[in-house]
Amino acid sequence: MKKLIAMLSVLAMLVALFTVPTMAEEGPIRIGTIYAMSGGNAAIGENILRGIDFAVAEINAKGGVNGRQLEVVRGDHAGDPATGRSEAERLINQEHVDVMMGCHMSVVTEVVAQVCTQYGVPMITAISTLDKLSDPDHEAMDYFFRLCPLNSVYVKDMLEYLKDSSEQTGEEVKTIAIFTDRAAIGQELIRCVELYKDEYGFDLVATVDYSSNATDLSAQVLALKQANPDAVLCDSYIGDATLFVQTLKAQGFTPKMIVAKANGFTDPAFLTNLGAAANGVASVVEFNPDLINGKEINEEFKAQYGVNMNGHSAESYTVVWIFKTAIEAAGTTDGAAVRDAIAALDIQGEFPGGRKIVLPYDRIKFENYDLDGATHYRDNTSASVAIAQVQDGEWKTVWPFSFTDTKILYPAPLQ
Amino acid sequence: MNKNVKAVRAYRRNLSIALGLILLVFILIPIIVKSPYVLNVFVLVFYMSTLSMAWNLLGGMTGQNSLGHAAYMGLGAYASCLLITKTGANPWLSAIFAMVVVGLVAGVIFYPCFILRGPYFTLVSIAFGEAMRQFIINSSFFGRASGVGLPFGKDSWLDFRFMSKVPYYYVGLVMVLAIYLLMKKIERSRMGYALRTIREDEDAAAAIGINPTKYKIMAVVVSAMVAALVGFFYASYIRYIDPELMVQAKSTESVLPAVVGGAAYVEGPLVGGLIMIPLSEFLRANFSAILPGINMLMYAVVLLTVIRFRPTGILGWYMHSKAKEFVDVKLLKKPPVEVFEAVEMEKNRGKEG
Repeated sequence: MKKLIAMLSVLAMLVALFTVPTMAEEGPIRIGTIYAMSGGNAAIGENILRGIDFAVAEINAKGGVNGRQLEVVRGDHAGDPATGRSEAERLINQEHVDVMMGCHMSVVTEVVAQVCTQYGVPMITAISTLDKLSDPDHEAMDYFFRLCPLNSVYVKDMLEYLKDSSEQTGEEVKTIAIFTDRAAIGQELIRCVELYKDEYGFDLVATVDYSSNATDLSAQVLALKQANPDAVLCDSYIGDATLFVQTLKAQGFTPKMIVAKANGFTDPAFLTNLGAAANGVASVVEFNPDLINGKEINEEFKAQYGVNMNGHSAESYTVVWIFKTAIEAAGTTDGAAVRDAIAALDIQGEFPGGRKIVLPYDRIKFENYDLDGATHYRDNTSASVAIAQVQDGEWKTVWPFSFTDTKILYPAPLQ
Repeated sequence: MNKNVKAVRAYRRNLSIALGLILLVFILIPIIVKSPYVLNVFVLVFYMSTLSMAWNLLGGMTGQNSLGHAAYMGLGAYASCLLITKTGANPWLSAIFAMVVVGLVAGVIFYPCFILRGPYFTLVSIAFGEAMRQFIINSSFFGRASGVGLPFGKDSWLDFRFMSKVPYYYVGLVMVLAIYLLMKKIERSRMGYALRTIREDEDAAAAIGINPTKYKIMAVVVSAMVAALVGFFYASYIRYIDPELMVQAKSTESVLPAVVGGAAYVEGPLVGGLIMIPLSEFLRANFSAILPGINMLMYAVVLLTVIRFRPTGILGWYMHSKAKEFVDVKLLKKPPVEVFEAVEMEKNRGKEG
């Protein structure tokens, strides 16, 4: 019996030892990142982390922030909200990160942002676009900021592009159709198109959806063919995006304009899978190597990683710079002070001591504003996207017209 | 004879002291451990072990391998979340509501499928999970693929909503204990004997007057209700649910603690959960940043090793090991079997006399 008590008390002591908190030391400023590094979305996480590492190396080479180096502490949410929560708790309580970045999936971002708010750790998401992350339900989530455009901004810009395109194509778009996944991404596309179509005077003639990882899309493409819209708006994961274009060709239906909301269409595999058949497909992009402000950084990035900078890398790169600027303005890494500094930030054109903003807009300021009749909180209201089109097997920026010299390829040849 | 009675009493006393001490350690953990991250791991252990006990009632005790427990859990989470957000009902009431709804759904759906034998139950449970997920993705009432969030606000026991991990820890601990006692009770009841007989030989069970369909339905309903309770706990803890909660991989996760711990024992899921979940957290925390995905690979290696070398689970091995002998004889002073028999006989003789 005594032995048992002894064993149990040793066990209890071990548990206690294992959990004695280590105090935050002087030294590097720690940036926590929570992205999917394993599972189906690992490739996306890799691009994001490249952007972060690139910015951190650049800043550290120039002397760091307030004389301290930056250090990245990586967490892996594996695409699961409960894991995301664990990781957020771990990074904050065990690793003592000063600021947080994440995540790739909006549902996980929501959970992580709540943990960050609870502990007073400032968090900026580079790429979570779900509108409701900043809606009135999240007013109290006041340590959370969003750099990227909202889904509704993506779709609004897609419609804006369709409207502007008549300048170059000479034909006005009147009817549109939606082709999309039944999953969350598709629901958002449908919701946003419904929201703005009347404002732009488009007639939505068909909404066609399918279940993710479809093996056959003939019925959906036939439905589109019957509706015969001037432009098709779509959002799919990579497998479905590839199959969609293949089915369009097989059915002999070539919509004059195809505009995708990134995702699978901007996956590098999309061009590899389809080759010339992708020519003419357009998509929203957060960044493109031929953007006027992006050419220089892309060359350096490519020299280091051997691949082009993509939207996710560029946005997460920018977030690291925002943290640097805010921590310098606050003069401390205290959570509340950094939060206030982020809220007060107004970056016009370029970062102090850094580059021009590499994204297709030239101002970063987090504001509360009105969207669709509801107040939204702490979004970067200047954020917008560009539209790129596959031309000769490469993504070329075609819109906004002021950010590029390339003209729209019309009608989309798909060959 | 008196000596024997004393020995047995001493053993029983030692056993309850040991169990009491283990319980005390768990009660004291939040007082000693201040790290919310570690408490979070314990909360995960509690609800995953409970879910695994729910699975074990079917898989271990009845021999009906379900691969749809994530769906029961998800459905429970949805039922309670929707009741709270749409009607403003009290969360504790919503837990009961969720259990009743999920119990009914499981009973109605699985009643016809128990007419079939063999692997059909497993197949139906997989289909059930995926069908439920697709149903929710396509139904605007359930919020489609966007999921449902629970409101935030001040800490409140009435709303089961806290900033701190400690209340979730204790509620989780109570839940895991209550479900453990329930499972223990079922195991020792008429239903438990019936379920085990069905597992061994369904025809023999029917021949001795056990109605297999009736008991299997009872097991499914109880199991689904417990899973729904876990769903409620999960939703209250994470405060955000989406249909991904019901994917097949999550159902498999609910099986692992039971299989690793020893599916033949009610305690199996507890032992398995206590080992596998901290292990998975530990591997992710320490290795995933070095080489992404390596943590899952290592987890898989551990799993394969256990299944290859200890196919009856950790408890299955422990029950026949030297370690058990040591614990029983040296620590708990368990008397030999003959002493127990002698005491039993003495008791019976007393009754007769």
